[in-house]
Amino acid sequence: MNENPTYTEAFEELQQIVTEIESGQITVDELSEKVKRATALIKICKLKLTTTEADINLILKDIETSGGKREETK
Amino acid sequence: MNKLNHYAHSGHCYPELVEKKDGKVIALMKAMLWKNDFYRIDQRFHKILKEPIKDGINILFCASISFDPMHGLSLRIIDIDPVFSLGELEREKQETIERLKREGIYDQNRKVAMAMLPQRIAVISVETSKGYSDYLKILEHNPWGYTFFNFLFPSLLQSERAIPSIINQLKRIKKVIHHFDAVAIIRGGGGDVGLSSFNNYELAREIALFPLPVITGIGHSTNETVVEMVSFKNAITPTELADYLIQMFHNFSVPVKKAEEFITERSLRILKDERLKFHNTMKYFKSVTQHQLSKNHNNIAGLTSALTQQAKFQLLQSDQNIDRNRQHILKFTPLVIQYRRQRTSEIVNRFLKQTADFIMAQQQSVQQVEKHVNFLNPENILKRGFSITLDQHGKAIKDSAKLNAGDTITTILASGKVVSKIEDVLNHRDDE
Repeated sequence: MNENPTYTEAFEELQQIVTEIESGQITVDELSEKVKRATALIKICKLKLTTTEADINLILKDIETSGGKREETK
Repeated sequence: MNKLNHYAHSGHCYPELVEKKDGKVIALMKAMLWKNDFYRIDQRFHKILKEPIKDGINILFCASISFDPMHGLSLRIIDIDPVFSLGELEREKQETIERLKREGIYDQNRKVAMAMLPQRIAVISVETSKGYSDYLKILEHNPWGYTFFNFLFPSLLQSERAIPSIINQLKRIKKVIHHFDAVAIIRGGGGDVGLSSFNNYELAREIALFPLPVITGIGHSTNETVVEMVSFKNAITPTELADYLIQMFHNFSVPVKKAEEFITERSLRILKDERLKFHNTMKYFKSVTQHQLSKNHNNIAGLTSALTQQAKFQLLQSDQNIDRNRQHILKFTPLVIQYRRQRTSEIVNRFLKQTADFIMAQQQSVQQVEKHVNFLNPENILKRGFSITLDQHGKAIKDSAKLNAGDTITTILASGKVVSKIEDVLNHRDDE
């Protein structure tokens, strides 16, 4: 299981769990595991909504670096 | 009109007029536009075209031609028809649209996949513009706590110079494209002026071909520009653009919330159902076991009573058997003893008789032997006249040869003994 999914992956996995539960494919044995996973995924999704990992310094550095490269290749 | 050549200091303009054919200049002439005339014309352009009078447009103008021996032939523009230029601008716009369509890139940006959460936005705007600050305010104060990351790529958004400025920033964004989910072009507060640059082919092309979704919030009330047409989404105003992004977050967050509710509700129900099922099974199990237990209990009780009865019956029967046997023994034992006693006395009698017979026979044979022995007794023989002669050693003499004259011999008779001295010994052979 992907422990660090993107929100798209997390969202899709969450939807899949919902579908599984909906169709009654889940036994009580799996239920706890699935609910645990779903909780983690929901947490990830909610976290993604309210935080961002973007790093301004990194972007600025990247703009400069790739700019430099571009000049070199000219 | 190729170049307006407006001198801000004097306020006069010296437009450069050209006529082109197949991209080549075939005629060129300088003109003059005095300050007052320019001011009036510019006002009317703003009113009708929503654009200032600018370089590179076709114009229909009224001019006076004068000749000065010093300065030569000159053309003084008195008026320019804004309606004609309006048509020209519209024609330019249509040309851009058709060209993009012809090249198959008109819908290109709309085909780009939009991230599920467009969170990291590369903003092309003017830092101090009202539109940008409105946009930021809405995003930053959204009541759901959604977090956005905006990175400003400052650019001019008005006048002809907006075109290279925006294109340049798009190029910069491309270099760091992996940091972003979407590009937002935000203008605002500038009114409806200077929008014709957004109909420019080069700019529209850059946007149509941009690898990230481009969202526009250019903020005006006139017709949609080509840039807006080719963009992924035209939100029209900066605030609506912000709302659109928030809506995207909603689109993601609402299903998550629904999923959460659904999973909670359904899980609880599954647990409840299972508990009920378990409870029922337990109940059934209990009843079945109890039934089985009581059944076995009854069986054991039945077997116990049967065993007791059977044992009693067996004991009774054995008792009777023993009794019968005792009587039998009592009845038959004396008979057997009597019979045995008879047999024993018979045997004893026979034994006694046989013994007596044997003794008598033995006595007879002893008597006979006695007779015979008596017959042989030397005394009896001696009585009949025979005698026994013994030598000096007391031994019976049977051969005369062993005797010598002079020896003393003893003769035993039936009554008495005679001791003699041998006078002569005659050999046996001599007798013969």
